[in-house]
Amino acid sequence: MNLHAQNTLTEAETALVNGYSSRFSDLPGDADVTVRRDEALELLKQGLPTRRVEAWHYTDLRRLLSVVPDFKPVANAEAVAPLIENALVLPVLNGTAHGREAGPEGLTVATLADKLQEGALPAEWLTASDRFDAVGAINAAFVSDGYWLDIAEGAELDRPIELQNIHAGGQVHGRFVVNAAAGSKATIIERQTGAGDALASSVTHLDVADGANVLWILLQEQPDDAAYLGQFSASLGKDSSLTLFIMNGGGKLVRQEVKVVARGEGSEFKLRGVNLLGGETHCDVTMVLDHLAPDTVSTETFRNVVTGKANGVFQGQIRVAKVAQKTDAKMACNTLLLTDEGGFSSKPELEIFADDVACGHGATVTDIEKEHLFYLMARGIDEKTARGLLVKAFVAEVIEELEDETVIEALEARLVDWFAEHG
Amino acid sequence: MPAVQETIDQVRMIDVDQYKYGFETLIESELAPKGLNEDIIRFISAKKEEPEWMTEWRLNAYKRWQAMEEPSWARVSYPKIDFQDLHYYAAPKNQTGPKSLDEVDPELLKTYEKLGIPLREQEILAGVRKQGEPSDLDDSPSDNVYSSGRVAVDAVFDSVSVVTTFKEELAKAGVIFCSISEAIREHPELIQKYLGSVVPVSDNYYAALNSAVFTDGSFVYVPKGVRCPMELSTYFRINERNTGQFERTLIIAEEGAYVSYLEGCTAPQRDENQLHAAVVELIALDDAEIKYSTVQNWYPGDSEGKGGIYNFVTKRGDCRGNNSKISWTQVETGSAITWKYPSCILRGDNSRGEFYSIAVSNGHQQIDSGTKMLHLGKNTSSRIISKGISAGKSQNTYRGQVSAHRKAANARNFTQCDSLLIGNDCGAHTVPYIEAKNATAQFEHEATTSKISEDQLFYVMQRGIPEEEAIALIVNGFVKDVIQELPMEFAVEAQKLIGISLEGSVG
Repeated sequence: MNLHAQNTLTEAETALVNGYSSRFSDLPGDADVTVRRDEALELLKQGLPTRRVEAWHYTDLRRLLSVVPDFKPVANAEAVAPLIENALVLPVLNGTAHGREAGPEGLTVATLADKLQEGALPAEWLTASDRFDAVGAINAAFVSDGYWLDIAEGAELDRPIELQNIHAGGQVHGRFVVNAAAGSKATIIERQTGAGDALASSVTHLDVADGANVLWILLQEQPDDAAYLGQFSASLGKDSSLTLFIMNGGGKLVRQEVKVVARGEGSEFKLRGVNLLGGETHCDVTMVLDHLAPDTVSTETFRNVVTGKANGVFQGQIRVAKVAQKTDAKMACNTLLLTDEGGFSSKPELEIFADDVACGHGATVTDIEKEHLFYLMARGIDEKTARGLLVKAFVAEVIEELEDETVIEALEARLVDWFAEHG
Repeated sequence: MPAVQETIDQVRMIDVDQYKYGFETLIESELAPKGLNEDIIRFISAKKEEPEWMTEWRLNAYKRWQAMEEPSWARVSYPKIDFQDLHYYAAPKNQTGPKSLDEVDPELLKTYEKLGIPLREQEILAGVRKQGEPSDLDDSPSDNVYSSGRVAVDAVFDSVSVVTTFKEELAKAGVIFCSISEAIREHPELIQKYLGSVVPVSDNYYAALNSAVFTDGSFVYVPKGVRCPMELSTYFRINERNTGQFERTLIIAEEGAYVSYLEGCTAPQRDENQLHAAVVELIALDDAEIKYSTVQNWYPGDSEGKGGIYNFVTKRGDCRGNNSKISWTQVETGSAITWKYPSCILRGDNSRGEFYSIAVSNGHQQIDSGTKMLHLGKNTSSRIISKGISAGKSQNTYRGQVSAHRKAANARNFTQCDSLLIGNDCGAHTVPYIEAKNATAQFEHEATTSKISEDQLFYVMQRGIPEEEAIALIVNGFVKDVIQELPMEFAVEAQKLIGISLEGSVG
């Protein structure tokens, strides 16, 4: 008996699969791409993963993805104001890339639709990594557009790039490819947002070549009735560094996957994340980090705030290969659980095959410290305000670790907005 | 920081090719035919002179087992087990109540001698000498704890309990300590009430199999308010070829009772793999405390990975009453494959669960072990300390779950799991599941790189102790915390591990 064999597809699964035939003629790509799309569809026909699949242990996608909307958007989508004023905005609106503005020196911009048409996307990128890579499969089957950025060797971009994936309901499936060549430096902001009942998926491939340095900010602010499936993959070259900052502040069902491969000796990966979970959100951040080379360093810190009926999940797996001696990996996941109606589950995994490494993880779940609260209240601050201050401070700590003042200010403003809305 | 030489040497001393208990006892056995079917289950039940309801219970378990699938989520790999190629019952012939040393099968005596159990205790084990009586076999005064005669032993040899010592003295205190087969015959009301109440028949694949075919094991009942006057212990020995051992242990501590129970196990060295699938159920009622300790030393297979015991065990304690406490301590060095998660269900308010573990894997051993702490009641607390050491080509995984339910107000957990790798062909893995559904829950999980703080090291070194020694001192002190959770009787075996330092440990 195969535990994962599902005889009948759910209504949502059926809608997802059936959508392909109506959508197919509009999707870009050469013959190879079509083969990949068909393969991805075959996977979807076998049904979405349930919690019996270890990678989906806390997110039963089959049950949670209960509605798959039609492809047609409800309205026109418009680009949003950039997080940082002078950023080059490259919007994907309702699944179509609209950015035509010339970028800073050292940057080449192409649309993903063109690249798919040319057959430029490596075949394995449009292939699900395994039978249960639902995010990869859904996106591979339906991806319509996005951007392909090449950052020239040694180029240091003088303004940030903001990639936007914006919908006005319906289904959107975008993809971003960024190649940061050797010695280059860039700040990239990714916005995932929209309005209305939607299914949005987004897959990112980032290559950070030898000695390159990238700061990537991913801001997910989907509306309350949207399902968002994201997958961020990065590969790090020798002595390169990547700082990835993720802020989740919306969505009904959110799955954000992060797959990072430290393939180059001396590479450094920093992941900082803030999950602001309110309402009935189910938000799952799942990370797999492979240390494949010696002397690689990684630190991961997530701060989660859970209110209302929200449920949060953090799965972080660090794998250290036999050759990756002197790996230094530290992971922390701290949660403030402020409600009895919600929950938070974490699974920080270590898988280690090298004997000279320093790896560790910590995970805590707790309410606000009574002593801290007392300290503030003793100074005449009422309880509600005091609690608010402490919760904000708890997450702001992670944001403040980013070095760029403008970025910190912009993110803290988003934080304030979220708390204003969710009390 | 890689492991220091001292640690490497210590681990080598207990490497798989150093297994001391691999001998075989040539003793005449009665075997059930190979295979598993309803007739075999009836045969076992008949052998044990069980009442009809028990036979039905087993058959029901067998039915459920047939509908279940072997679990595959653990990080262990092994060829498919042919459950029809095993003997489900093996017992040494003529084992009914030996009266003097001469009447005990000498082979059996030799076995216990070889297992390193002290002679005086061996006499006790064979049931010929009452506690406190001098022994002619024992010339010099022994200083080990067994010789104090304060340990009652239930010796399980293949499928049967050979003898249980100190039954009478225990009975005076109201404590029932006997084999589970005897308990089924003589205390059916307790068995019917509690058997399967912590680990339900269909809890998992191996628990279902065990429920169908379990052959023996120990039963302990400590009545209200009684502090068990001595340590209780079971020694499991697999001897016969091609057999599986399926023992079942049930321990009940009534209101305010206390009992400490030890478990040891060994098996002969063979090329084939043998299956050991046990179920242990602990029940602690209001204010009761159960302490369960294991030194698991099944044959681990040879240095090529041939042979060894598959140890697929379900152990679970139910803190059913308020203010109850269950504590698991384990030292795991044996078995080719270990799959065990001694757990606590913290049902009663203010109940407490503890898990202390040292797991050492060598050769081709695979360990996937850990614990579950399920917080259901109010103000429940739990503590997990796990140390994994892998060497050779082994894989050592800690897998643990801590969860707080909606009503588990003020649940607290502290978890610490460290592991150490020695050599380049082994793996160490940590898979914790932390689930909180309550705002007042406080969970801390940590797996730190180094147990030794600069301050501690400085403190010791400034007294003129060199760094290496200082590290060893601090680390030994730390490991002792876990080992001291073991009753004295087992400390000897565990001592071998004390020297292992855990510096440079990885999460």
